[in-house]
Amino acid sequence: MILLAKVALGMAGVGLASAGVLCSEGVVYVKVIEKQPQGLHIRVIAPAMLAPIAVHLAPQPALARAAREIQPYMPAIRAAVDGMRDSDDVVFVEVKGPGQHVEVAKSGGSIVVDVDDAGETVHVSTPIRAVSSTVDELAAASSNSL
Amino acid sequence: MRETMRRRTRIATVLCMLAAGMMALVGSAMAAPAEKYLHVNVEDPTRGGSVNVNVPLSMAEKILPAINNHDLHYGKVSIHNAEMNGVDVRALLDAVRTAPDNEFVTVKDKDSDVRVAKANGNIIVHVIDKKNKQQRVDVTVPLKVVDALFSTAKNDELDIAAALRALSDAGDVLLVTVQDSSEKVRVWVDSRNTQD
Repeated sequence: MILLAKVALGMAGVGLASAGVLCSEGVVYVKVIEKQPQGLHIRVIAPAMLAPIAVHLAPQPALARAAREIQPYMPAIRAAVDGMRDSDDVVFVEVKGPGQHVEVAKSGGSIVVDVDDAGETVHVSTPIRAVSSTVDELAAASSNSL
Repeated sequence: MRETMRRRTRIATVLCMLAAGMMALVGSAMAAPAEKYLHVNVEDPTRGGSVNVNVPLSMAEKILPAINNHDLHYGKVSIHNAEMNGVDVRALLDAVRTAPDNEFVTVKDKDSDVRVAKANGNIIVHVIDKKNKQQRVDVTVPLKVVDALFSTAKNDELDIAAALRALSDAGDVLLVTVQDSSEKVRVWVDSRNTQD
């Protein structure tokens, strides 16, 4: 009985540690709500650490093509990500119109995009550290494809 | 004896709190200068829309040199000779810098009013376009920013990155307003990260 309890405790510890490692870069949160009867309600919460891993595991030909296309903009993207990481929380862009509202902001170490219009509400929150890691993976893929 | 000890302890506590307060004040005074933000606000009351952009200048300073596209390279933008029309801009700027505050150009005709002046270390341009929905354009640029723009060695380049740095060091300033019957555009720099 005690042995079983120890095994269970060990497994719970491993599970907790794994969850901790997975969530160490924060989580990507996506919420899409369609404003119509029977409309879609999607909520996705995923460990941000999976994004660079997904890029790493993506099919090489497709990744190489994407990496080549993004290569000229890579210095600007890196500078933007670094700048965002170092800046205080701020709403970068806010667009208001009749029946629509779009906001791109930095909030608590994440880039947050909110879109609200007549058809749907979209909320995406991505940790900047994960964006940085993903950009690094893309840059590595780009250098490998050359 | 015990009463004296208590009194001394109280005095020491008060002195420590005063010292901590002084250190906090000195610390905040010596802290890094506040981040400056470039704000753009476009209001269109007729359509009920608005666009607000807030960019930390330090972030813009980092991104700009990383963009190499068309005429923009390493934070500098190339001006083609044709656009300068043979005007020696540096000599012109030097003359303006050393001149006292004054109104340099005033043009009034049936289509537009134009005024260019120097006041309080700023170059000020006012334009009223009478043909185009009574559009009014007001531009105020600190001379230090203009100097930074033309601080490159080459005559056909504007150093945008240097101008941004100069803008960071300048105080709060309303740079551009454009207003016509339907839209209003404002561009300004201050230390607040919101437009409220």
